[in-house]
Amino acid sequence: MSELIHVAVKYRALLLNGARVTLIVSLLTILFGLFFGVLMAFLKMSKVKALRALANIYVEFIRGTPVLVQIFLVYYGLPLMGVEIPSIVVAGFDISRILSGTLALVINTTAYVCEIVRGGIESIDYGQTEGALALGMSPARAMMAIVFPQAMKNILPSLGNEFITIIKTSSQISVIGIADLMYTADTIRGISFKPMEPLIIVALIYFLMTFVISFMLRQAEKRMRKGYAR
Amino acid sequence: MEEKSIISIRKLTKNYGSASVLKGIDLEVQKGEVVAVIGPSGSGKSTMLRCINAMEQLSGGDILLNGESIRQMKKLPRLRQKVGMVFQHFNLFPHMTVLKNVMYAPVTVRGELKPKAEEYAMELLKKVGMYEKRDAYPATLSGGQKQRVAIARALAMKPEVLLFDEPTSALDPEMVGEVLTVMKQLAKTGMTMIVVTHEMGFAREVADKVVFMDEGIVMESGSPQQVFEETENERVKAFLAKML
Ligand SMILES: Nc1ncnc2c1ncn2[C@@H]1O[C@H](COP(=O)(O)OP(=O)(O)OP(=O)(O)O)[C@@H](O)[C@H]1O
Ligand SMILES: [Mg+2]
Repeated sequence: MSELIHVAVKYRALLLNGARVTLIVSLLTILFGLFFGVLMAFLKMSKVKALRALANIYVEFIRGTPVLVQIFLVYYGLPLMGVEIPSIVVAGFDISRILSGTLALVINTTAYVCEIVRGGIESIDYGQTEGALALGMSPARAMMAIVFPQAMKNILPSLGNEFITIIKTSSQISVIGIADLMYTADTIRGISFKPMEPLIIVALIYFLMTFVISFMLRQAEKRMRKGYAR
Repeated sequence: MEEKSIISIRKLTKNYGSASVLKGIDLEVQKGEVVAVIGPSGSGKSTMLRCINAMEQLSGGDILLNGESIRQMKKLPRLRQKVGMVFQHFNLFPHMTVLKNVMYAPVTVRGELKPKAEEYAMELLKKVGMYEKRDAYPATLSGGQKQRVAIARALAMKPEVLLFDEPTSALDPEMVGEVLTVMKQLAKTGMTMIVVTHEMGFAREVADKVVFMDEGIVMESGSPQQVFEETENERVKAFLAKML
């Protein structure tokens, strides 16, 4: 125990930095994954067959391949395609260093969020859409004001799980040299010659992050449930 | 004397793929008329109703609303504001209170001011006997109460015609009466109503015109007296014998 505290205190700067990188990567992934995931869900429910097919292929491919492979594909693929990542400094943090890893995670998350959102929307009885249309609402309003709020109730718990998965999965971007928490554990092991302590500390920090997220989501769910019972 | 029809259905056909569900329906509905549509399951009653407010696309023929073809109405929401619908399964919005259910569309679709829409919604809820429940959520209501709210919700859009698709079929028997009572009151106020129903008592007592549909055609239509008492048609007789 005292060894743990000793290591944690001694390498706190490294650990804090790693935690910061993991948090930034995860938050960006959640944000953009959510945005593109919802977009992809609407593509998948589109009336246009080609769009549906495109979305289908995307989702199936991403869900059918390991995230580690996706991370390397993006990491080596971007330069091959001639994409050069410019240096973008936000709040003293150079985003370009984490960009390719984050991009891979966003690509991955988009597929899962898409399925969660689509499932949630399709679980709502078509009668709700009909009821809305029959009152003269536009299809867009019927979706956004009537169907989507109800679907959120089904979507939120799964989305919460997905957020937690993202935080854990983000540890895999350490393989391309991004100095996240997992990478930090490796670094500390290398300089301190202690294999267990840094891992345990890092595990605790990961757990703290996922715990806070699941707590917040439970509160959000409770608040939604109070609104109405089905 | 030629009365002008509020709804005029002309040679309406509807196919689903190769299945022909409506095979040439003709029907005139005058302003203030209550039309009861009866007939066996699968005869196309719901399909015809859903064509009138363009929930289904017409395959052939036409439907005129106040003389204007609904095929020409590019803005479906405008048509649907004039032709309200009450469903078998109510389709109330579970995430809104009773009051919000009733006033949401008037405010967002018609652009009415909130206080005005609310006032009118309350008035309608009083009419259907649901004023006390205005702050309740639909999940806490009985089937009969839900349907009365659904009727108020449809009326809030000030429609010219109200379509009912088996409004009492999903109700427990003891709740059918309260909904039919509301519908009878509505009929008395001069609302134009097309009601698909299995309630022969309602059709006989309230309807101005009864339409018997079978296999996608109107097999018989006339006054309740003509359809219920004087029909010579064997299919109508057989159907009525089963229902009564
Ligand atoms: N979306 C659809 N796709 C294919 N067939 C359909 C569809 N909707 C209805 N049908 C068919 O059209 C026929 C008429 O259906 P409709 O619902 O209009 O009958 P109905 O007279 O309302 O019957 P019920 O009394 O059971 O409600 C049925 O044979 C039904 O299977
Ligand atoms: Mg039907």
